[in-house]
Parts: sequence; structure tokens; C-alpha cells
Amino acid sequence: MAAPVLALRDVSKSFGATRALSGMTLELWPGEVHAVVGENGAGKSTMIKIMTGVHAPSTGGVEVDGRPVTLSGPREARAKGVSAIYQEPMVFPDLDVAENIFISATDLGLVQRRGLLRERARELIARIGMSLDPDRVASGLTLAEQQAVEIARALSQDVRVLIMDEPTASLSAHEAGELRRIARGLAAEGVAVVYISHRLEEIFEVAHRVTVIRDGSHISTRPIAEVTPERMIAEMVGREVGNYFRKDESHATPEVLLSVRGLGVEDAFEGVSFDIHRGEVLCLAGLIGARRTDVALSLFGIRPATAGRVLWKGQEVRIGSPRAAMALGIAYVSEDRRKLGLALPLSIRSNVTLATLGKVLTRWGLMRERAERAVTQGYRERLNIRMADADTPVGKLSGGNQQKVMLAKWLETNPQLLIFDEPTRGIDVGAKAEVHDLIRQFVRQGGAALVISSDLPEVLALGDRILVMREGRQMGVIPHEAATQEGVMRLATGQDRDAA
Amino acid sequence: MTRVSPGALRLLALVLVLLLVGAFFASQIENYLNARLFNRISSSVAIVALIACAQTLVILTRNIDLSLGAVVGFTAYGTGALVTAVPDLHPALLALAALGIGAGFGLVNGLLVAYAGVPSIIVTLATMAIFRSALVEFSDAQSITTDSLPDWLVAFPNLQLFAIGGVQFRAAFVAAVVIVIFVHLALTRLRPARALYAVGSNPEAAEMAGIDVRRTVLAAFVAAGALAGLAGLFFLARFGNITVVAGLGFELKSIAAAVLGGVNIFGGAGTVVGALIGAILVDLIENSLVRWDLVSEFWREAVLGLLILSAVTGDALLMRRLQRLRIRRDKAAAPVPKEATP
Repeated sequence: MAAPVLALRDVSKSFGATRALSGMTLELWPGEVHAVVGENGAGKSTMIKIMTGVHAPSTGGVEVDGRPVTLSGPREARAKGVSAIYQEPMVFPDLDVAENIFISATDLGLVQRRGLLRERARELIARIGMSLDPDRVASGLTLAEQQAVEIARALSQDVRVLIMDEPTASLSAHEAGELRRIARGLAAEGVAVVYISHRLEEIFEVAHRVTVIRDGSHISTRPIAEVTPERMIAEMVGREVGNYFRKDESHATPEVLLSVRGLGVEDAFEGVSFDIHRGEVLCLAGLIGARRTDVALSLFGIRPATAGRVLWKGQEVRIGSPRAAMALGIAYVSEDRRKLGLALPLSIRSNVTLATLGKVLTRWGLMRERAERAVTQGYRERLNIRMADADTPVGKLSGGNQQKVMLAKWLETNPQLLIFDEPTRGIDVGAKAEVHDLIRQFVRQGGAALVISSDLPEVLALGDRILVMREGRQMGVIPHEAATQEGVMRLATGQDRDAA
Repeated sequence: MTRVSPGALRLLALVLVLLLVGAFFASQIENYLNARLFNRISSSVAIVALIACAQTLVILTRNIDLSLGAVVGFTAYGTGALVTAVPDLHPALLALAALGIGAGFGLVNGLLVAYAGVPSIIVTLATMAIFRSALVEFSDAQSITTDSLPDWLVAFPNLQLFAIGGVQFRAAFVAAVVIVIFVHLALTRLRPARALYAVGSNPEAAEMAGIDVRRTVLAAFVAAGALAGLAGLFFLARFGNITVVAGLGFELKSIAAAVLGGVNIFGGAGTVVGALIGAILVDLIENSLVRWDLVSEFWREAVLGLLILSAVTGDALLMRRLQRLRIRRDKAAAPVPKEATP
């Protein structure tokens, strides 16, 4: 008789050569809070985007009330009762609360009636058990209040499926509790709530059923009572570790290169302490929102630390700018190749020498093209960069080769500490192994590497030690010998805390 | 508790600046503050207010329209040619023609920006030149002269509707103010007009909220074009003699007026009433500089540029400070600690 309010049937989605989802099936029933868990990059975002009509499935179909539908975009998804709220709320900072809630309402007439708007806004806000002045301008609201506005907006449109994507990631404990209460309340009213979260403990508190996805595929869907955290974690990470991730022996020397004590950046992270030795690879593991990148940004001087001490070769230093970091011998290979790392339209050789322009390659202020070519050729051989010639724009290279060009740029600054942020995200397996070899080669020659990675096999393969973070806090440091995927995941999800 | 909204505060500050500027020039120029000053400025404000209003609509959506001056010039010439050819044309039809010509140019800009996805600064920089050249081609470099225009049109700008003392309220000025108030009411009271603010405030969220972002941007350009067309007709009525350089530099003036009037250059915030006061300020300064011996005429444009710079810089600094204040206040208001890990 009854059909699920929204269902994905054997949905696959590919972006170019990358397969984000394959054969995904999910049924959402009225009145349930349905948690979806998976590692970073498991395909959760793609799944949401298909349910909200942002992406169309490559194959397979979406059903509403048992009937196949084609969602042409967020507007049509909303019309069918499917709304989503995100970790970063989608509000209009210049409009007030009431206007934000009713921005896409169609039943309120042409002329805006302030009084009516205000009154209906109050009703909706009261329905989710919050209190908010409808006249307040949205730019002054806290994140939790902005989310409340978004939920009220969804309610104003008779929401039937509400997708909450990491809604509590940036909230305080109290606010997160409120949000879970709201989710439960909406389910009690008959809404199907999709709840995506990395905080396993809150999933056990809020969800009726839980679906685990991994590598774009559906792994399991079970009532929450039949699941244990251990089992969930095992299913989340349970892929086979490829044998190309081979950990070689540690090259760590006793000499401490960088030492960090109680490092913190206001509103990002606090109390991070570690040492990196010459010849060592320290991995920073954690889930999205663990603020690992913020640690890297502060060590590279982009967002200077506001608390704690940094010692470089035993000397206390203050790293106030990237220039200061580079002067010490620290380089940062950023995650966002396109935005922060490479000048895509420029040639390979221009990119390689970008960070060292003033140093070696100029004579009387003029570029020495021949020297630049020689330098680029050296890296091409050393890093095995596959390119037609040094004048090719970097944007034309594959992801793996772009990564190598970026690496060449930083190696050219002759760094002693290289910070890698997700060095192998989005590049193919072969290139991945090459990047790993380059990192190992770098530390063998006396450098040190700090590697941020969400890829657990990579963390286990590379790290001499693994520092796990969660929501801006250091959860523990695991030596390589004692590290397992499950152990790292337990720390990262807050199921466990190291004595450290 | 009464709260003065930041917008109202800004308008108040603007009026204060207006008074200060007036007082400054009164101290510098003999026989400055009189009815003639108002009459003169009001005639020119009638035109600038319309294009400032037009520019505001576009800026609200995070775009900019550099072609407005060229549209004013073309419409001034076009309607002049039309009324020369058909002297008995009904005034309403002439106004409609002005709106239509302007809207047509706006449509070209809007389609290119919204649907072809070309940044508005590039599109309108190009169309500014193209529209201007089209005018040269269309006019055959001939001028429209006052003699060829019907009397009612020439009389319109100076037509006195009512007067308070020596201060005359002339038809063009009153019409412009009425239009601005009308647009203001539409922007604040009509629900579809909120889309303009929404799109400029957070385009991504607007898309997610089911707002047709592209159509909204297109509508803004078309409306702006129509308003600039009307400004062109006013221009024709005021000056009578129209050459190919008509309306040159109005794009700068319109941006200056809007920005001075508190319209956020990054979109999403601002009012056309603010732009109107900005327009008055721009014209007051321009008209006064003419009479101020200390500043040579070559420096007048620079003064305008300086004004834009100081308005935007001041705004940016103020906003940053407000934001910091708010963050501090939020922290004080939310004593709940970040989640304590077990």
C-alpha cells in the first residue's frame, strides 16, 4: 500500500572518469530520522545533490511516493517537498528573518504585508521550539539561528523530506542538542528527516535507522537498535587496503625540527602539541570539521596562531606570514590546487618558479628563461611529470601531474618542513603511489613532512606517527606500529580518547 | 525599545553630509544659499536621480551597468529624432518610446550578463562603446536642435508645478522624485522585488531557494535600461541640443550617486531613496564647484572620483568594524561553551 516518500533506485553518478555513486539505493519513510554515515568522499554529498535535484543521476532513478520523477533543480525538488539544510546555512545576510523564511513563498500575494509575514514567521519558529525576532537581520544571527531560519523556510513550504547535512558540525553542544530535538520533532510530525553526521554518538541519539555508504555504494541499512558503533565504523572503513600502500621503515632521526605546544587559533582549534623530527612523516587524521587545515594554515602563517608556542630547531619563533614561514624553511602544498596552489593558465615553468622568482632565476631583474627551463626539466625528470613541454599551461595537465608541479614549486624553495594538505585527493592510484614515494624521498633526505589526509589507508601507509583531531581538538597521537583504521576512526569520531 | 536600523542611520548620515557640504560652500561662495541654487540643482537632479535609481537596481544584483550614459545619450537623440519627425506625437507615446528604447538596450545587457554568463563589467564596458557608436552612426553625426522640438517638451523641465517662496518645484524634478518613490515602494513592498536583494545578498542561496537568478538579473538590467531611457527623454527636454556626446560620463555619476547613497557595491543592500540623496549630493558638489574659483574645471571629475573612493573606503572600514563588534557581542551573549569532549 504505502510507498516511501522519496527513494533512490540503483542510482549511479559519474563526473568524467570519476564514479561518485554506484548502484545507490535508499528509501525514506515518513516519520523517520534516517542517518547516513560514511567516510569523507564516500558519496554523501553527491547523494544529497541528486535528492535535491542539483545533479541528475547518470543511471537509475528517483521516486517520490513510488512514482518515478525527474528533478530538474532545487526549485522542483522543493515543490515536491524535498529541502536540504547544510552545515553552512544558506541565508540572505541582508534580509531579515521573516523575509528569509518566506523568500520563495508563492502564496503570500504580490504586496508584502509585514504584519502577516511577521506573524507567520513567529508561528513557524515557535513550531520548532525556538524564539527569534522576525525583524532581525540575518547577518547578525548565530549559525544555529540561521539553521533555524532555514528549517522554518523548509516548513513554510510543506516539507516532506528534510535533509540535514552535517548540521551540528559547527554548533555548540547545547545548540546541537536543540537541533536534534527539532529533527525528532519534525519526524514526529511525519517528515522524513535525512540526518548526515560524523558524530556517531548523536546518530545513536537521534536516528531511527542508519545507512552506511562507502566508496559510492550502499553498504547497509538497519534499525539503529541493531547497530553498534564498532560495527558501523568497521563498515565505514571496511575496504581492502591496496598493496601499493606499503609502509617502509621510518627514517626519523632524533633531531626535532619543529615543536608545537598548546597551539591554537581563535574559533578554530586549540591545544595542539606535537614534535616533528627530521626524517619523519607526521600525519594529521580526522574528519571534515576537525580543523586540520587550520593547523596547517597557522604553521604557514596564513592564519597566525593566537595561542601556544612554536619552536623551530629549538628556537621560539612567531610565524606571522607565509613569507616568515618560507624564510624558516616551511612550505605548504595546499589541498585546493586550483585556488591556492597553481596559476592554471600559466605555463608549467612559470608555476615551478613562482615561489622563488626573486631568488635565483633573475639577472639584473630580468627573467632568465634558460635557467627556468633547466630547473623545470630537472623536476620533470625527478618527479616524473608527464608533459608535452614546459610551456604547456598547467591547467591542461592531469590532477596528479598538477600536484607534482605544485610540489616542484615548493621543493624549489628548498624547504625543510613540507606540509601537505590532502596531497592525493582526486588523483589516480598510480599518481598517488608516486606522490607517496616523493614524500618518503623528501624525508629520507633529511626533511620532515606533515601530511593532512582523510584517506585512512594513506595515513597508515605514510605516517610514522598519526595525530588525530576532532572538532578543533587533539584526540591523540598513535605511533605507526599501533595504528589501525578502526583505531583512528574511533578517535576521529569521538568514540575513544587517547590518554595524550 | 526603538532601534534605528543601519539603513536609516546611513540615510541620516548622508543628509548630514549634504548639509555640511552646503554649509561649506556657503562659507566659500558669496550669495550661495538661495532659491536659484535649488532650482538649478533640482533641474539636473531630475536626470541624475533616474540613472542613479537605475544603477541601484543593477548593483543590488551584484552587477554594474557602465552603458547607462550611452543609453541616456542614444535615447535623448532617438526620441528627439522621433518627435522631430512626428511633431504631433502624444507625450505619453513619446515617454513610452523612451522607456522602450532604454529597455531594449537593457535587454541586450541583461541577456549577455544573465544568460551568456559574461561579467557585467565587461558586457557593459563593451556595450557602452557600441551604443555610443550606434548613436554616431544613427545620427550621422548631426545634432538635434531645440528649434525642431515641440514647445511643450522644451517647456516641460521648467514647468513650475508649485512654489514655496522663490523655490520652484518643476515638473521634471517632481516627476523624477515621484518615480524614485514609486520604485522605492516597489522594492520594499513588492514580494518579487525581494528577489533582487536575495540574488545580490547570496546568489547560491537564492538558487537553492528556487529563485530564478538569471531572470532576476535580466529584469534588473531591463528596468535599469528603461529608467535610463526616461532619463534620456528628460535630457532631451532640458538641453534641447543633442549631440553624439550626450550623456557622456553619466555612468560615473550614476555609480557615484548610488554608492554615496549607501548602496553596497557588492550587492544585496541599499535603497533608491539613498541613491536619490546621493544624486543630490553629487549634483550639489558639481554645481558648487563650478562657482568655486579655487578648483579648476579640470579637477571636477577628480573630485567625483575622490568622493566615490572615500564613500566606499569609509563604508568598508565601517562594516569591518561593525562585524567585529557583532562577533564580540555574540560571544558575550552565548556563554555556552564549545562541546566538551568526554
